[in-house]
Amino acid sequence: MNPFISIMLLSTLILSTMIVTISSHWLFAWIGLEMNMMAIIPIMMKKPTPRATEASTKYFLTQATASALLMLAIIINLMYSSQWTIMKLFNPTASILMTMALAIKLGLAPFHFWVPEVTQGIPLTTGLILLTWQKLAPISILYQISPSINLHLMVTMSFLSILIGGWGGLNQTQLRKIMAYSSIAHMGWMTTILLYNPSLTMLNLLIYIIMTFTMFTLLAQNSTTTTLLLSQTWNTMPIMTTFTMLTLLSMGGLPPLTGFMPKWMIIQELTKNESLLLPTLMAITALLNLYFYMRLAYSTALTLFPSTNNMKMKWQFYPTKQMTLLPTAIVLSTMLLPLTPMFFILL
Amino acid sequence: MSLVHINILMAFTMSLTGLLMYRSHLMSALLCLEGMVLSLFILATLTILNSHFTLANMMPIILLVFAACEAAIGLALLIMISNTYGTDYVQNLNLLQC
Repeated sequence: MNPFISIMLLSTLILSTMIVTISSHWLFAWIGLEMNMMAIIPIMMKKPTPRATEASTKYFLTQATASALLMLAIIINLMYSSQWTIMKLFNPTASILMTMALAIKLGLAPFHFWVPEVTQGIPLTTGLILLTWQKLAPISILYQISPSINLHLMVTMSFLSILIGGWGGLNQTQLRKIMAYSSIAHMGWMTTILLYNPSLTMLNLLIYIIMTFTMFTLLAQNSTTTTLLLSQTWNTMPIMTTFTMLTLLSMGGLPPLTGFMPKWMIIQELTKNESLLLPTLMAITALLNLYFYMRLAYSTALTLFPSTNNMKMKWQFYPTKQMTLLPTAIVLSTMLLPLTPMFFILL
Repeated sequence: MSLVHINILMAFTMSLTGLLMYRSHLMSALLCLEGMVLSLFILATLTILNSHFTLANMMPIILLVFAACEAAIGLALLIMISNTYGTDYVQNLNLLQC
């Protein structure tokens, strides 16, 4: 893409999320979300293949619907409180509508159907932007309206997301769809704790972004998009198999790795608020996620798929792709658990 | 909630239902999107004029600007789909299901 256009689109993307996070007027938050959508659609259509077009169309339709619903909630809030400050909403209808609109934007169940298909149709780096950067703006609005969100609606949507994220990823071999279902499940975990302790939502979002960035960068090194291709990394870059396995286990939430930190904190906060059944079910359903991560780690690091003898004797070239921040990201996504007290106090 | 407000909210709900349940053409989804934004424009104008909230008189116009940009993007995507398939039938958008 022309460098000027590329710079303009990236700067609009960054600027739009900043507008949403720092604004105190509902209209500016809505404008920021619109700019966000408008900036990422050309990025998704960098190579105008039919798949990318279809992914962009599905993304556009869902996000535009969510924007209109959000605007309706803002106007109903205006009718009942005659002010535009971003704080808790003053009408239950507006609150329910806005929660559903932001759930559509985030990809929470039952509005999750666009996430796997859109993530599948776009290149890996654009998928990274879609699953990490695009979550910042809606979660910042959810954080600010959290005192007025309906508890039953939120807990239903988040538990359903965890279930669907776990079960939906089981039947996939395409890595981008697996990452999409992983995103749905993590969004479920994040929004569960939103009404009890919103700082933990931010902590979970931060850790999730680090882990997903690591995973996508590892995948982009070899341009692997299927499990079959991932199982060939032992041949080209053997050390990547270890990193992939560690990052996948961290995403599954296994203890000495970073991914355990948000799950632990969330379960602790939920039990402090005397809800016992929900964290039990959440923890059990997280095992489904762990199963398909383990399957990927197994095929990458622990076994060799059958291949011809020719493929076992490749020239090992120096990697030509830029490994942006990969060592930092790997360390952050596997070794951050001892710093839990710092994060708990900071956020 | 007065009758006028119920009228406009009903218009919004009709457009939303049309957006969610279109049968074959993508164009009707885009039209319903525009209908939703139009009903929001009217609702916002009524609310702001009714409460004499003069400072917010610009808000519906700004809303309209961004809705127009969104419609332009929607049409551009529709044209890309038309380039590939020749029509805008939504049954054609089935590449990403497996």
